[in-house]
Amino acid sequence: MSSLGYVIEQYIMLSGALFTLGCIGFLVRRNVLVQLMSIELMLNSVNLTLVAYNRMHTGDLNGQVFAFFIIAVAAAEVAVGLAIVLAFYRLKSSVQSDEADQLRH
Amino acid sequence: MNFDILLAVSPILAVAIGGLLLMLAEAFGKPMVLTGPQAGLVSTDAGAGRSDELALGSAVILFAGALISVALWKVGPESLPGAAALAPYLIIDRFTLFFCFLLCLGGGLASLLAGGYLPEHNLDRGEFFPLLVFSTVGAMAVAASGDFLSFFVALETMSLGVYCMIGLRRGNLRASEASLKYFLLGSFAAALTLMGGALLYGATGHTDFVGIGQGIATIGKSTSAVNAPLVLVAVALVIAGLAFKISAVPFHMWTPDAYEGAPTPTTTYMSVAVKSAAFAVLLRILVIGFGDPRLASWGTGWPTIVAWLSVLSMIVANVIAGRQESVKRMLAYSSIAHAGYTLIGVVATMHSGQGTPSVLFYLLTYTVSTVGAFGALILCGRRGAEAVSYEDLAGLGKRHPAAALAFSLFLLSLAGVPPTAGFFGKLYVFSAAVDSQLNVLVVIGLLNSVIGAYYYLRVMVYMYMREPEPGAPLATPMRSGFVVAALIVAAVFVLVCGILPNTSLDVAAAAGLSHG
Amino acid sequence: MLQTYLPMFVMFAIVLVISSVMFFGGQLIGPKNPNPEKLSPFECGNDSEGAKNTKLSVKFYLTAILFVVFDIEVVFMYPWATLFKTLGWNGFATMFSFIVALVVGLAYCWKKGALEWES
Repeated sequence: MSSLGYVIEQYIMLSGALFTLGCIGFLVRRNVLVQLMSIELMLNSVNLTLVAYNRMHTGDLNGQVFAFFIIAVAAAEVAVGLAIVLAFYRLKSSVQSDEADQLRH
Repeated sequence: MNFDILLAVSPILAVAIGGLLLMLAEAFGKPMVLTGPQAGLVSTDAGAGRSDELALGSAVILFAGALISVALWKVGPESLPGAAALAPYLIIDRFTLFFCFLLCLGGGLASLLAGGYLPEHNLDRGEFFPLLVFSTVGAMAVAASGDFLSFFVALETMSLGVYCMIGLRRGNLRASEASLKYFLLGSFAAALTLMGGALLYGATGHTDFVGIGQGIATIGKSTSAVNAPLVLVAVALVIAGLAFKISAVPFHMWTPDAYEGAPTPTTTYMSVAVKSAAFAVLLRILVIGFGDPRLASWGTGWPTIVAWLSVLSMIVANVIAGRQESVKRMLAYSSIAHAGYTLIGVVATMHSGQGTPSVLFYLLTYTVSTVGAFGALILCGRRGAEAVSYEDLAGLGKRHPAAALAFSLFLLSLAGVPPTAGFFGKLYVFSAAVDSQLNVLVVIGLLNSVIGAYYYLRVMVYMYMREPEPGAPLATPMRSGFVVAALIVAAVFVLVCGILPNTSLDVAAAAGLSHG
Repeated sequence: MLQTYLPMFVMFAIVLVISSVMFFGGQLIGPKNPNPEKLSPFECGNDSEGAKNTKLSVKFYLTAILFVVFDIEVVFMYPWATLFKTLGWNGFATMFSFIVALVVGLAYCWKKGALEWES
């Protein structure tokens, strides 16, 4: 348990760092594509967390199966997101989210 | 093959298969023949210009889903023991069936509204209807989900459809901006919730809500391997992510923009179905997953957080709603305020058995009133002159008394004036809170209802007491059987729940969740 | 274990050798008389300009988006394929309905013209 637990802590620290980076990237950056990538980073850190914890909770593969589903759903999400960004870009010729300022009263 | 399973998921399955068929019908149907300058040409997009039949199709599919839910309710999900094989991914109990009915009703009414709105505003694109049906499938699955895995997949199914429906008007900057904002914040919120789920899996070894609840219950025992700080972080992440979806303050920033930029039927659908589904899963997670007394005790656990969300939502939304010039934006803030009222019931859930039914009943009354209010707003607009501001509605009471009367009924219901559905919705939420000794929350809620009545009544003042300024564009109601039908259905529900609330209350009471 | 994978390693080795022979062989044997015209990125007579930020046609994005969506679904088919016999007819029916849904989506894309390159 001790050596294995140590390894898991490292994975969780890494995925926590990735998640935080993704959060900060999403909140700080104004380029929509970078924000999309930040969300992907967050989802991938979730994948890492799940797969790492699956090492600890042996006996089932819930964590790994969950990671599969996240990968597939994230792909669908990116497809829709890129389509939305494309529609925005065609109208505005920009991918900066702070230029999305029409909807203010 | 286990037929109990098929029978149990039949509401979801029927709507999903119907959605697939509708999608094929949209793509492979007979294309519209263009008239006017391009007469004689055949439109390349087979779905364009056929809103009438597609709206009818999707309304039939969704109302069929609602009827199947009712039938299954009559049969009783308890009599289908084989359906337990679906647990924890899909849990078919009375709670789920109630939401299946509610979501299908909201979705069906939204598709009727779209059948009138889209052709009128030159937005006659067939994709809308399959997207609406699939999104409703996702919403039903969200309400049924008992595991973070199925919850996430269902949540994305619901949300992806909504993102597309917001951006339906592709050439319009406001619409694409609205969908961009909602997409970014929605995916961010989903990622937060998911991280919460992953940490809970780490702490308890379970992704299903029941297992998580059992794991949390072992905290403090010497044999427990559950990491308590991890659980607290996870609870905060899950609640924050779901607060985005129900648009509670301070996670509401996207709501007014997305609601305003979206086509009005999409706005209706978002404020009704997305919010109800998010409340369903919020209740399930809080009661089943985080129902442990130590997490749920007043003062330290999540009820305090949720109570603050509720108070902030009510106060902030009501203050800002009164200052809006656009009725659509006002209704957006009103939906945030209603999320606040509903959250009072969620807080009360942990203190008395009355909690969940009052939330369910409130969501029912909120759904029919909101569909009606947005529907009346749609009815008041014509091509090129969508009614959005208070000024547009000036003098409507004299020019078009029927439209003004319908609008007034739904606004009164949203304000909570008897004998409408909204009154009983608020009454039962507040009485559930009183039963739980949440008197401060009730006082804040009552004060906010009074403030809220101001901006609803302001619309009526404009309709009945103001004369339009000379030369200003006038709102003339469109002629659409679809919109009128949706308004009639919504009005019947508002009046029935308002005058004879007992039946629907009994149903809501039977659908309640209980911990453990 | 080693014996099972030996053919694969042999194949890797052959691939590596052949590709490096072709790559370096061309560099060693081929004639070299460079001039500025030849070294420019596009040898088409006039100076290349704006090569860095060329805007790609929307068609590329559309195809890429569809590719991402349909490509990733294979993630679910590999586990099913490896457990095909264990899962039996139940698994087959489940996967069949999944694939039917995908095919319906593909038919929709096709009919809507999303797969047309020339239009």
